[in-house]
Amino acid sequence: MPTADTIAPRAIVEAHGISKRFGDLEVLSDIDFRLDSSEVVCVIGPSGSGKSTLLRCLAFLEPYDNGSVYIDGQLLGYDQRGGMRVRAGERRIDEVRAPVGMVFQHFHLWPHRTALENVTEALRLVNGLSRRDAEAEGMAMLERVGLAERAGHFPESLSGGQKQRVAIARALAMKPRVMLFDEPTSALDPELVGEVLDVMKQLAADGMTMVIVTHEMGFAANVSNRVVFMDQGQVVESGPPSILFRQPRSARLKQFLNTWRERHID
Amino acid sequence: MLEILLNHYPVLIKGLTTTLVVSLSAIALGLVLGILLAFGLTSQSRLVRWPCGLYRSFWRGTPILLQLLLVYYLLPEIGIEVAPITAAILTLTLNTAAFQSEIFRSGIAHIPAGQIEAARMAGISAWQTRRRIVMPQVFRLTLPPLTNEIITILKNSSLVSVIAVTELMRVSEQIASRTFQPLETYLAAAVLYLAVNLVLARISAHLERRMAGGLATE
Repeated sequence: MPTADTIAPRAIVEAHGISKRFGDLEVLSDIDFRLDSSEVVCVIGPSGSGKSTLLRCLAFLEPYDNGSVYIDGQLLGYDQRGGMRVRAGERRIDEVRAPVGMVFQHFHLWPHRTALENVTEALRLVNGLSRRDAEAEGMAMLERVGLAERAGHFPESLSGGQKQRVAIARALAMKPRVMLFDEPTSALDPELVGEVLDVMKQLAADGMTMVIVTHEMGFAANVSNRVVFMDQGQVVESGPPSILFRQPRSARLKQFLNTWRERHID
Repeated sequence: MLEILLNHYPVLIKGLTTTLVVSLSAIALGLVLGILLAFGLTSQSRLVRWPCGLYRSFWRGTPILLQLLLVYYLLPEIGIEVAPITAAILTLTLNTAAFQSEIFRSGIAHIPAGQIEAARMAGISAWQTRRRIVMPQVFRLTLPPLTNEIITILKNSSLVSVIAVTELMRVSEQIASRTFQPLETYLAAAVLYLAVNLVLARISAHLERRMAGGLATE
């Protein structure tokens, strides 16, 4: 069992042997995962392979059953008490995952708040900023995703791409050290995918540490430092995209890439 | 009917005032209790859910008339002397809390779980998430059934006349027996109940229109 002491200092997220079951179904089995500062990792794989569940376990939105997840060297979701592992309190969980921001497939903006209010809500409630400071900060974040002029709009009057960019701004406002993206473009019309990927590329260029669960192979090939291929709850292969996409070793990855090519290249 | 209204309006207005005081206090107090119960009903802990469910089932599953009599006779038994009007407000509060909790519970169930996850990931605490993210949307979603419940309580408040609270119903009975004009008297009372409820419905419809923005779920 690894402890915080054995973790190299630069790992922001580190998972050891995590597994997760939904009833009889083992969705994650014995996964190891390590994320260093400024790394951009794309997680790919067929649907049902467990990639979203892995991401949710890294944020403890889904409690993992076995193994451990460390954020900045701190155990996420559980406390060790007298050799026993017990679920940590909500406050402790919030504290440990504070450096983690998350962007969801379906945006999950708060519909009763304007774009700006979606971004400023946590700045005010969690960081205790005054309305003025929070709004200045919020506008800066909307500026960063190119949506300053939509600040006063409610989510219902934004396009899917704009909603997702607001969701990114909302996560960025809390100054995360790592951003988790759960299929951020899968719910978008094809013509809106680009604007979201552009924002993510810019984030990567700015040095943000990111884990992205995606079906966008082009993006994975061009932007990520490392690609993790998952199938049936396991990490089958991982490595730099140049190697992984050109010289897949496993039959499963070869098949996955072939299926993808057949669908996308005619 | 007009004659009854004109001749007896001071007592009728007094009765109507009592009706409003009893029902509106019960609705307001029941709102607070109903929200807390709804949180209990949607709690992850079975230990919290179970007693809240039991409470809800009892107050929803027994006649309000019976509840009034039970509270009215039970309180002195356990050494609490209260005026009939207090017992009336208490009963209606406990009753409407059960119905309101069920309204809020269904409203809470309509908020996509992802919105709550997004709040948790932003570090917003569970209570702040309820207060700032969930409940503002729940109030908008549940305004129509909530209006129904308010109107129901206002009408059911006529039952508190059985424990000698002189509200509109009881006043009408008194006038009817004195004037020997029951039909006209009860018609007059009906007009007064209807007038109040129409005003309530109008306020609700106005609020609903005003709050229509920003509610589309993704």
